[in-house]
Amino acid sequence: MEIVAKPNKYELGEMLLEIGSLLIVSGANTERVKVTISRIAGAFCCDSDLMITNHALMITLTYKDNIKTFTSVKWVPNMHLNFNLISDISTMSWKIVEEKWSVERINNEMKLLDRKPLYSRFAVLFLVALAGASFCRLFGGGMTEMILCFSGTLVGLFIRQETMKLKFNFYLCIFFASLTSSFLVGLYSFLNPGGEFIHALSTSVLFLIPGVPMINSFSDLIDGNILNGTTRGVNVLVIAFAISLGLMVSLLIFNLH
Amino acid sequence: MDFALLEKGIWLGFAGIGFGALFNVPRRTLAAIYIMSALGGLLKFYMISLEFGLVFAAFCGSSLIGFLSVLAAHYRKAPPMTFALPALIPMIPGFFAYKAMVGVMKLTAEKDPDVYSKLFFETAKNGLSACFIILALSAGVAIPLLIARKETVKRIKVDKVLEMQLENLEEEN
Repeated sequence: MEIVAKPNKYELGEMLLEIGSLLIVSGANTERVKVTISRIAGAFCCDSDLMITNHALMITLTYKDNIKTFTSVKWVPNMHLNFNLISDISTMSWKIVEEKWSVERINNEMKLLDRKPLYSRFAVLFLVALAGASFCRLFGGGMTEMILCFSGTLVGLFIRQETMKLKFNFYLCIFFASLTSSFLVGLYSFLNPGGEFIHALSTSVLFLIPGVPMINSFSDLIDGNILNGTTRGVNVLVIAFAISLGLMVSLLIFNLH
Repeated sequence: MDFALLEKGIWLGFAGIGFGALFNVPRRTLAAIYIMSALGGLLKFYMISLEFGLVFAAFCGSSLIGFLSVLAAHYRKAPPMTFALPALIPMIPGFFAYKAMVGVMKLTAEKDPDVYSKLFFETAKNGLSACFIILALSAGVAIPLLIARKETVKRIKVDKVLEMQLENLEEEN
């Protein structure tokens, strides 16, 4: 068997930090980051100790053959969900262990990883709007409400994407999206006072629900990462507050109760 | 009743796919997500129709999704949470949360004590339902994943082989 050349300690540590921050940004929970990094570090005969918070990742690598250690901190940007990346990195970490990749090879593969969204913008808009309409149907809405909900979700998501591009505050983006979706449905029900549009109104903002932080928060709590779990939970609450603020504003505008 | 349930399954699947696209899941997982979110949601609706209670039904539905996601992870080669999260979102009780929020808004403006107490009762009921259903959903999907993590045969085997190889390497060195 070919023996892998001992990597430069700085290269290995920085690569692990890069992988860890990619995982956190894409929406992995704390345990998965820990497991993936210690798996890769184990393939290079290193011990890794991690400190993971919502915006920073700190690693200390200890080499078994000598007393040298490597410690560094990396800032983690805001969350941008990308499950495809998580899946690819997970597969890659197994290949690293089984096929004994070198650090250079891992770095090359990292450059090849698919960081761009898999689905075109219009496909995402259409599918999420369809999901909104499905929600409306599930909660008991009729055909008109489904169409309303479809268009509300479509415009709302479009607004969120655009405001994210303009680099507004994240919670403000959610407020804008929630306001737009509910405003559209509210306007229609204001112009047609006879109808009942409560289902369309309540389901048009559901696409903004922070499902991933919510489940991650709970699984972090179960795993014993109480601090991370609490942080994510508070994040969920703030997002829910932004959603309800947007909904409330359009309810007040059209005086719907 | 049967056809109504089937129709709900179709819409549940679309909702799951929509969130899958939003989370940018790998293309090969989309079909599995459709089936899982339809099955999990159908179990929930079926249990509600048998009058098991909303929270317990949500717990069972999400547990089914959790177990299916572990199976799907083996066949489609992706982490279980890639399947579980998009499939779970359609079960979130948006309507209760909405009702609770509107109720709080009305409470701040209400003056009549009789109406207030009735409204307060409804708002608390809706808010608590939403909270507990969300809690049950998270717990239901997390527990199967935690159980499976300890029993994944493939991973244990790989680790043992790897450890032996590493030991050999160290001895050779």
